[in-house]
Amino acid sequence: MSRIEPITGRYVNVDVNGEPHRIFYEEAGQGTPLICLHTAGADSRQWRHLLNDPDVTNRFRVLAFDLPYHGRSTPPDQWWLRKYQLTAQGYADVIRAFWQALGLVKPVVMGCSMGGAIVLKVAVDYQKELTGIVGLESAAFAPGRYNEFLHHPAIHGGELCASYTMGLCAPTTPESNKRENWWYYAQGGPGVYAGDVYFYSFDWDGRESIKTIDTQKCKVSLLTGEYDYSATPAMSEEVAASIAGSRYTLMKGMGHFPMVEDYPGLKRYLMPELQGMLA
Amino acid sequence: MAAFPDEAWFKDYQARVNQDKELSVIGNWFSTRFSITIDQARRVMVVEKGQITQVIMAPKFDSRPAFGFQAPMSIWAKFLTPNPPPLYNDFFAMLMRVPDFVLEGDGLVAMQNARALQRLMNLMRKEAA
Repeated sequence: MSRIEPITGRYVNVDVNGEPHRIFYEEAGQGTPLICLHTAGADSRQWRHLLNDPDVTNRFRVLAFDLPYHGRSTPPDQWWLRKYQLTAQGYADVIRAFWQALGLVKPVVMGCSMGGAIVLKVAVDYQKELTGIVGLESAAFAPGRYNEFLHHPAIHGGELCASYTMGLCAPTTPESNKRENWWYYAQGGPGVYAGDVYFYSFDWDGRESIKTIDTQKCKVSLLTGEYDYSATPAMSEEVAASIAGSRYTLMKGMGHFPMVEDYPGLKRYLMPELQGMLA
Repeated sequence: MAAFPDEAWFKDYQARVNQDKELSVIGNWFSTRFSITIDQARRVMVVEKGQITQVIMAPKFDSRPAFGFQAPMSIWAKFLTPNPPPLYNDFFAMLMRVPDFVLEGDGLVAMQNARALQRLMNLMRKEAA
């Protein structure tokens, strides 16, 4: 049976710190803007279930974009003359440039993994401009994921990154969903996952700054999977303890990629948080 | 009943690996030797094109594994349970978070074969998909 999904894909040309970028994004729905950030080395396809869920899109304009170098967002000019290494500031700058380019007012920003980390910085820096953040698998400090094999001439980077990250799924994750995420990871550009993990493992440390988030201005919801060994539940609990008024929930039986691993499972936890953003 | 790490258990495991449909698809380049060490016990898998052609139950110094995984029995027991607990569900998880689970030898060979190796390791659990 054929079916056309309600998701549309478009490109926006946007300057980030004076540098032109062509950024791909998918969107669906109407209402409060909900910007969704993919994980390291992946792209917006991870959000397809949320983008197809009328319970969300009836109330939110859901937008998922590909970071530069990821998915269908081309790298900036002269990319071949620089090593790709994402930084916290550069990452936050792209996110803000995206919502400004689209004229989004008081968005909710939701991210997973490195996206769950950067939403914390976005909340620190721009809390007056936001409705709130939803951090999936959030950590304020997460060393340890980087290794030299992730971008190595004697190793198939796509296969390694995909297998390395498949282990982050819960053992009860439906097999087809694990493999879907594996496929997305296998399609990443050379060195892109390693460059993202550079941000996550070395550049990112929000342990002090997140204490300045005022949840009266910017709501904070945190959801973390029981089987996430990268951003562990204990690490998310530490984030929650540092942000007065934040909400944290452990997602039983879930891994590091809830939106693609088990969307119905995530939805049980996510809907109350999204409802809270609208309250 | 075959118990890990007895010979009968490894025979079952060898058969499971060699009948695996996925490894028949992805294993063509996976030819190496690697060890599994459980406390003081050591086994060496001889792998040819994604098939375990031999399990050396009492390897000597001429067994020449390129790499190996070493851990106490208590850790292997958690990994082998049908629904392993958090941090023990994948060898990558244990390498990051379980200090006594160690990758020894040439990690490059292991990571060159990461996809097939991950499948082969997860087949240590009988219930692997």
